[in-house]
Formats: sequence, structure tokens, C-alpha cells
Amino acid sequence: MAQSIFNRKTQKFIRVLPQAVVVYVLLAALVITMLGPYLYIFSSSFKETYTLISIPPRLFPEQFVWDNYTYILRELPFSLWFFNTILVAVLVTVGTVFIDALAAYAFAKKEFWARDFLFGLMLATIMIPGALLLIPAFLITNELGLLNSYGGLIIPALANVLGVFLLRQFMQTIPEELEHAARIDGCSDFGVFWRIILPLSAPALATLSIVVFTSQWNNLVWPLVVLNDKDLYTLPLGLALLRSEFQVNYGITSAAAFLSVVPLIIVFIFLQRYFLEGLTVGAVKG
Amino acid sequence: MTSATSSSVQSRAALESFWKQAAVRRNISAYLFILPFMILFAVFNVGPFFWALWLSLLRGDLVQPVKPFVGLQNYFSLTTDNITLTVFKNSVQYTVSVVPIAVITALALAFLIGNKLVRFKDFYRSVVFFPLLASAAATAQIWSYILAPRYGVMTYLLSFVGVPEIYWLSDPNFALYGILLVEWWRGIGFHIILFLAAMLGVPEELHEAARIDGANALQVAVRVTIPLMRPVILFSVVMGTIWAFQLFDTVFVLTNGGPVHSTATIVWYIYNHAFRYGQVGMAAAMGVVLLLIIMPISFVQMRVLGER
Repeated sequence: MAQSIFNRKTQKFIRVLPQAVVVYVLLAALVITMLGPYLYIFSSSFKETYTLISIPPRLFPEQFVWDNYTYILRELPFSLWFFNTILVAVLVTVGTVFIDALAAYAFAKKEFWARDFLFGLMLATIMIPGALLLIPAFLITNELGLLNSYGGLIIPALANVLGVFLLRQFMQTIPEELEHAARIDGCSDFGVFWRIILPLSAPALATLSIVVFTSQWNNLVWPLVVLNDKDLYTLPLGLALLRSEFQVNYGITSAAAFLSVVPLIIVFIFLQRYFLEGLTVGAVKG
Repeated sequence: MTSATSSSVQSRAALESFWKQAAVRRNISAYLFILPFMILFAVFNVGPFFWALWLSLLRGDLVQPVKPFVGLQNYFSLTTDNITLTVFKNSVQYTVSVVPIAVITALALAFLIGNKLVRFKDFYRSVVFFPLLASAAATAQIWSYILAPRYGVMTYLLSFVGVPEIYWLSDPNFALYGILLVEWWRGIGFHIILFLAAMLGVPEELHEAARIDGANALQVAVRVTIPLMRPVILFSVVMGTIWAFQLFDTVFVLTNGGPVHSTATIVWYIYNHAFRYGQVGMAAAMGVVLLLIIMPISFVQMRVLGER
């Protein structure tokens, strides 16, 4: 009896084995393709100049050196770029989520004149390509005296239509009874929003935060047109500058590129779920 | 009797006006809630949109205070200018290449990860997400080294299969495909993850039924699974097309439109004409053309999103 079960299992194993081998070889190739470039620049960031351009290319540094890191941290304003990026990304995220949540609450739970018109207008603007708005948005930022400043990076980014769309959809599912109960207990309008709606919307707020934070962290075009001063640069802009100034010094560019990705990788490892959920929301932003 | 009626009418009117006032009060609070958003939205979205349309009818550089009105002349210039035609050709060629390649490879890879023999699917899902994390600038740095001539890894790997050295980013015949390769790596995870979610949502019974009817694995995929994934595939194609037409960051960092305009795209044109060459009108006109390309595609996108 036991013998025959064992036989059947073995037979099945032997039958699927060739397919399994093919599948796992292909998967290994996929993993190498997706992660390999990261690992390669990580390893290259510790290479000496002559190892970087050796033919054939070397996977690992011949001699493990920190020179590339000390260079970008001592000779370039890299730590400043890092600080600017964190500051701008955090402030834009907090501001956007708050402003979007306020608007989304009104659109989800209140009736007011021109509500549907305004919401339709907002949705219609989703299809406008960012490049078209770039020029006048720059001119307005200039008029407001915000060019070449943190304000110029942060303020124009605060109204996120898709954020309102996402939060409104989530808030609509919160039962009215909770709101009524809070009102009977004497809660003001803002009190209902702050104590009931916001805490209950936490998952949607987290998703939106991730989407906004990532897109700010990686934003290149807006800082490119708004900033002049190298000390105000964010990481993507700094990396673009390095590309033109250190064209073939791949040790330096590798170290800088790797450092710029590390924070997002860490956040991703802990908050993967929200990244995956935010995928379609962020996607729509284009 | 009459007085009783009139008093009840009066009280009803009073009641109605009370509720109306309450509604208006609530209204005012609603407007306060949307106010911060609406101000920013008007100043940085709606306003710029109409201003951009106006700019496309003017001539001048960014800071010039008075820009002469030239009517539709910018649009006519777009059809005659050599660079514009190159830019359109590049953007279209890039889009019709990258979208089918990305969608088809993503579909194949989703089937690979979705295979019944594969355990820890979440792991592979995370792995394909990784390229989505890096900025286009960082990705460009990574790949400029990999695609470098002579000592680049790609040259080395291709030499094993007998492919001669390719100047991925400096040969006008290959540069657009070098960009395509980088963007493929950067964006493929998005499509794979969407497809995987849709695929794992297809009920197992449907596969079983097709199997019992004698279909092989390929037939099940083509006849059952893929048709059921159609809305998601459509969404992927639409998003891929919208992104492809707006390609800029990677081009800006890797090739800056060169060599000899072989990677110059629509958005590259807009950026350079507005912020480098002092031709805001031409840039805005090109932006409007981009809008006209994106708009019909976006309608599909909104319908798909609306159905969710």
C-alpha cells in the first residue's frame, strides 16, 4: 500500500520534473535580469577606476575601495541633495494627503452646489499631459517669486487630483451612522473629519502617501525647470548633472545611483502592500 | 379653519427655511473643505491649461513680457519643420515598438510566475517591482554603465552569442532601441503585476473544464485565460501608450535627444524649445498636439477605471 503511494508520487515527480526545470531556469533568468543591474552597480561602486573599465568586465571589485563614496560625500553636495529630496518628498506627501483628504471628504459625504461639475472638471484634467502644463506652471511659479526655492518645488505639487479620486472612493464606503453618532455627541464638521473619517481612511491614506512620496523622490522634470542653485538640487537632478559631468566615471555614478535608491528599497521592504496597491493609482499619473 | 391652514403653511415654510439654512450652512463648510485643494488646482492645473493654449498662439521666449500674437502659425511651422517631423517619427516608432514588446513579454512572464509549479509567487512579484523603485535618472546611470561600449556588460554578454559590439547610446541607428531596452526594464514590472493579479483571479474550474475537454496548456492560455484578462490587457496597453508618448527623463539623462536627434521625443522637443531655445510658442503648440494624441487614449483609460 505505502509502496504504491510512494510510486505514484515518484511517477508524478518524474513527470513534472522537466517542466519544473525549465520553469525555474527561466525564473532564475528573470530574477537576474531584474535585480542584476542593481547588484552590479552596488558592486561597481566599490571598484577602483581601472577595474571599472577592465575588458572583459569584472563582476566584483579587485580591490574593495570606499573612494567613490567618499568622493560624492566630500567633494559633491550629495548629502545636501539627499536632505533636499527627503525634505521635499516628506512635505509634499504630508501636504498633499491632508489637502486631498479634506477635499475628498466633501466630495464623498456632502452635497453642495456644483459638486458634480467640479468633480468632472478634476477628472477631465487627468488626461492633460504634464509637459503641456510645464511652461505656464513655470511662469506662474516665477510670478509668485518661488523659482529656485523649496516653496517652488513643494507648493505646485500639492493638489493631486488622483489622490482626491482615490480617497473619495474609499471614504464613500464609510457608513453614515458613524458620522451621525459623532454629530449627536457634539462633534463639529472638522471634528468628524479629523476623529472619524481620517482614522478610518488609514489604508487609503497610506497608499496615497506611498504613491506621492515615490513620485516626488523620483521627480526630475519639475526640479529641472525650477532650480538653478546646485545646493537646492534633488537626487534625480543631481544624478542627471553627474551624468553630464562624470560621463565615464562609473564608480562615482554607480555609488550615487545606488545611494539614491536605498531609501525607497527600505521603505518598499516594510510597506510592500501599499506599493502594490498604489501601482494602478500612481500609474494613472503618467 | 383657514387660519389653522395658514399657520400650518407658515410653520411648514419656517421648517423648510430652517432646513435650507442648515443645508447652506453645511454647504459653506463643504466649500471650506475643498477650498485649499481648489485654489491650488485652479492656479497650477486649470489656469496653466488655458494659458498653454494661449501661449501656442504667441511667439517669444520665456521671460519676454510681451509676446506677439501669431495665430496658428506655430502649428503650421510644426508641419514643415524638419526636427518636428523627426520627433514625431521617433515618438511613434518608439511607442509602437515598446508597447507590444512590453505587453507580450509581460504576459509571458506572468504566465511563467503564475505556473502551478511555482511556489512563493509573492517573492517574484516583489522582484519584478524593484526596477519600478528607482528614478529614471538612477536607472539611466545604471544602464549607461551596462550599455557602455567596450567594457560594458551587455557588449560582453552579447559577444557569447556572436553579436558584434553595438554602440547602444551613440549609434543613431540603435540609440532609440537602447532607450527602449532601459525603459522596458524599468516598466515591465507594472504590466507583470497587473497581469498576474488578473490571471490568479481566473477561477480554477474554468481551467479544469477546458482541460477535461482535451485542451492543452497553450490552448487553455489562449482560449480561456487571456480572453478573461482582456480588460486588464487593454488597461496595460493604454497606460503603456500614454507613457511612451511622454517619454522624457531617460532620454534627457542618457542621450539628451542625440545622436543627431535619433532619440529626440515630443516631450524632449517641448522642454528644449521652451527652456533652451526660447521658442515658447512652438513648445506650447507641440504640447497641444501631444494633448490631442493622449486625449482619445485617455478616454479609454477613464472608462476602464470607471468600471472598477
